[in-house]
Amino acid sequence: MRPRKRVVTSPAGGTILPARKRKPGRPRSRRPSRLPPLPQGRSLVLEGSGATSPRRAEPSATELAAVDLSVDLAPGRGGFRLANPILVASGTFGYGVEYGEVVDVQRLGAVCCKGTTLKPRVGNVTPRVTETPAGMLNSIGLQNPGVDAVVERYAPTWTAWQTSVIVNVAGESIADYVEVCRRLDGVPGVAAIELNISCPNVGKGGLQFAIDAEAAGAVTAAVRRTTDLPLLVKLSPNVADVRPIARAIAAAGADALTAVNTLSGIAVASDRRRPLLGNVFGGLSGPAIKPVALRVVYEVAQVVDIPVVAIGGVTELADVLDFLAVGAVAVQVGTAIFADPTLPVRLIDELAGECLARGLSSYQPLVGTALPPRPDAPSAKGVEYRP
Amino acid sequence: MRLAAAELVDSREILPDQWLQSYYAPSLVAGARAGQFVHVRTGDYSGLVLRRPFSFNTVDSATGVFTIHFRTIGRGTEWLKRVRQGEPVDMLGPLGRPFEVDSRSRHLLLVAGGLGMAGVRMLADEAIRAGRQVVLLFGAATAGEVYPSFLLPDEVEYVVATDDGSLGHHGYVTDLAPQYEAWADQAFACGPSPMLRALAGLAAGRGQRLGVAKLGRKRGAGRSAPLGSPEARRKAFLQVSMEQNMGCAVGACLGCVVMSVAGTPQRVCREGPVFAAEEIAWESGW
Ligand SMILES: Cc1cc2nc3c(=O)[nH]c(=O)nc-3n(C[C@H](O)[C@H](O)[C@H](O)COP(=O)(O)O)c2cc1C
Ligand code: FES
Repeated sequence: MRPRKRVVTSPAGGTILPARKRKPGRPRSRRPSRLPPLPQGRSLVLEGSGATSPRRAEPSATELAAVDLSVDLAPGRGGFRLANPILVASGTFGYGVEYGEVVDVQRLGAVCCKGTTLKPRVGNVTPRVTETPAGMLNSIGLQNPGVDAVVERYAPTWTAWQTSVIVNVAGESIADYVEVCRRLDGVPGVAAIELNISCPNVGKGGLQFAIDAEAAGAVTAAVRRTTDLPLLVKLSPNVADVRPIARAIAAAGADALTAVNTLSGIAVASDRRRPLLGNVFGGLSGPAIKPVALRVVYEVAQVVDIPVVAIGGVTELADVLDFLAVGAVAVQVGTAIFADPTLPVRLIDELAGECLARGLSSYQPLVGTALPPRPDAPSAKGVEYRP
Repeated sequence: MRLAAAELVDSREILPDQWLQSYYAPSLVAGARAGQFVHVRTGDYSGLVLRRPFSFNTVDSATGVFTIHFRTIGRGTEWLKRVRQGEPVDMLGPLGRPFEVDSRSRHLLLVAGGLGMAGVRMLADEAIRAGRQVVLLFGAATAGEVYPSFLLPDEVEYVVATDDGSLGHHGYVTDLAPQYEAWADQAFACGPSPMLRALAGLAAGRGQRLGVAKLGRKRGAGRSAPLGSPEARRKAFLQVSMEQNMGCAVGACLGCVVMSVAGTPQRVCREGPVFAAEEIAWESGW
């Protein structure tokens, strides 16, 4: 692919981001594309618009906005349409307000807020985070003020946003999940629910819901009966075979799957006398887990008919394109926000720029291109689901 | 809170493996106060996924230049020390909440252990500019690690302790503190957590020993200021700048907490890094 300048538009909030003009380090590398070469001549979007060649270095904001990046995460029921497929991952973006001054939240596809439980939780003892090769471990322990406080403190703010807020829900029993979702149901500002099922199930001796197809299906079904809010269920990568779990969740009525949560890991303190994290175990995230996340999305996208949202190590446009290629219809950006808070918004423009450069009026043709063809697939490319 | 490309102006190894770097970034310097920090991103090719927090060591708002002081302890700081003059470094700041000096405080006791100097250094400048008297107690392992006095304002009374007795008092910096507790109106500390804990212990018993009540007794007597509030710090005899591993540094990830006496975790990056010593649950083991 030819080199292209980074796409920059000024955020609506008028935030000053001088760092964008001159970033340290080398320009991000783009990996060669596996997609068909650029069509010659004008792109679909530019047709008749009088614009110059699609090979222009920097498309204007108007040109970028002409690309249809919208995505429906609940096409099966009523619909849950987002303006674009770039979301921010639970636990890495607080309640959407913390980065307010440096990130234009209104541009994001959606915000997944911190894991929310029925009762307040103080979380785990420190240290809670540590850097690892190309990643980090965290053991926050679901610190949160409880669902009622979350609704009271943040929902009024969310209501005023054009960006959807997806509340990430955690619990220790099916009753917990159901009660949290019941309290979120109908609250203005709460657009959808993402079930974090990587939690110990007290009813089954602490066995995580996420590693048990039956429990994962049961909790999904119970929540489905409780609320009509769009329901996303977040898969754990810490399982031998994720496919039966994904199938059980889809069969239980989830609108979409998100994958993946963190990988279980530990680090050792520098004196080598104990594990580093206060909680011993932590969740690995960041670029280190991207291949695992790709594999999970690749597997899951082939066995379910509902949309899959990819999470894990997204740090640049190439990662987004990779996840789309293995069947994801949207991605969540997590750990990378800590280093580069403006990344998610930039990815939206870069994805639109990529579509323009390929002569596409939407990003849909980029979805599922690396999946194996399926005999029963509705499209020649084997894409089961089309956003 | 702003993102800026800070330009390296100067970089010096002031002590073995300890660097003092000046950066030009008017937008970060604007409004920055002692106790606050910047969150620094290493180069894209460094392979590191987290930023590194550094206290504002000194700030010159007239020129838009500030300094940070760090020890090379890992790949992030190794990267940072190699930044060349004129190169831009991506920084987020100013972050966190500053030290709060009560308007009536004339005598400030600053206590720093090792790299903790970077946490209180700027407060010395602010205090002297405001016409206050400053005693700075500094502790290091050995003479070779003692912060050079020429880097401090002349007005500061600088008292040193070394673990091995190679310079100044033979022992801990906390041994020196009691001599100043009657003189000091307020104290401000940054350093290893055993040092802070020991100082917090001393500060807790001070009122009784000296027969003085807490500062701020007149304003809102009896009513304790809300946890993490500027008033809570302003009223405290001892304010401490805490350290914790950080992810986001803006309050989003909850990675950096310390436990408060109320049993609610406080974010070092948002409610802190400066806390009133009496707000921290020192024995909680967090
Ligand atoms: C500090 C931190 C806190 C997290 N908290 C949650 C959480 O509360 N609920 C959840 O479902 N996932 C949580 N996650 C997982 C992320 O949402 C995401 O699945 C994971 O980090 C992988 O994406 P990444 O590599 O882009 O970070 C957390 C991750 C991090 C780093
Ligand atoms: S470092 Fe993320 S909350 Fe403090």
